[in-house]
Amino acid sequence: MAGSLPDSKPNAQTPSSCPIVCGGARLLSWAALRVPHALRAAALLLVTLVAAAVYNAATPFGIPWGPSPDNRVGIPRVFESRLPQIDAAKALSLYEAGEALFVDSRDEDDYERDHIPGAVSAPMRRWAEIWPDIESEFPRDRLLVLYCYGAHCGLSTRQGKELLRQEYGKLVVLDYGWSAWTDHGHPTVEHPEGHPGEAEGEH
Amino acid sequence: MRMIGRIITHRVFLRLAGLIVGGVFVYASWDKITQADRFADIVHDYDMLPLVFVNAFALMMPWTELVVGATLIVGVWRRASGLLATALTASFMVAIAQAEIRGLDIECGCFDVSGMSGTEASWDLFVRDIALLLGSVLLWRRA
Repeated sequence: MAGSLPDSKPNAQTPSSCPIVCGGARLLSWAALRVPHALRAAALLLVTLVAAAVYNAATPFGIPWGPSPDNRVGIPRVFESRLPQIDAAKALSLYEAGEALFVDSRDEDDYERDHIPGAVSAPMRRWAEIWPDIESEFPRDRLLVLYCYGAHCGLSTRQGKELLRQEYGKLVVLDYGWSAWTDHGHPTVEHPEGHPGEAEGEH
Repeated sequence: MRMIGRIITHRVFLRLAGLIVGGVFVYASWDKITQADRFADIVHDYDMLPLVFVNAFALMMPWTELVVGATLIVGVWRRASGLLATALTASFMVAIAQAEIRGLDIECGCFDVSGMSGTEASWDLFVRDIALLLGSVLLWRRA
């Protein structure tokens, strides 16, 4: 027949015999040739959105799509209620009652310069390296008050997440950290030379 | 020059480029997907996005890496994947450059987000990303 393809097969499935499969295949082959790659890129993004949403809903460490009500990011849903923030006044009452262990998440240099009396140094930036050595200093039956630098410092929150992963149950984060503590004039230990043990003085 | 053009647009070369660039993206995606909360912390450290977008970006970006990497490896929709790979790599380079210029001392978050790698955002990584960008652009424009 004039105009027919030379390799067309007389026994090939016709649309009437496979309306869905053949129609779908034709649509895909048409799309593959004609749909611009930018549109295909958009389709791939749609696939990633669906995959991310499904996985995030299913995994135990899934995170919300936006910040938490107290404007923190990166906190798994299962940890949201287990990592509360406290203000400096509440932290002071815990300090005075001697009920809590204060944990300084800042870098070692800053801890050595000054810190909350009785606080242990646990610099979060070196967490993976130091944790095996300091784990014994972290009692599981005592409340841990984590603090770092200030408003935008997420080090304490990250440390809290790591401790929750280690199944520590009693944790709070000092909101605004060290800056809130010192702004309120709460007691500190200073080491002017930068070395604990030398010229130590409590203020 | 024409010879180089023929080589890099040869289908075998493009296939190889797809496997390498795709493999890098798939490898880079896994840790971020399984530890989205830690990756969100790193995204926050780069200080480029409004807080409201940080978690959403941390959830979407690794899956984009995975899908783009998988399609490049399989060889499906390579131009579309190349376009996305180019956009992703360019955004990585912008993020690293601004972190270096502002003097931010932060973890890269490129392949490992657990804090164990100790890899910081640096100009070395920026240079490495140039190679990834060239491969991505090639796949986008010539595949």
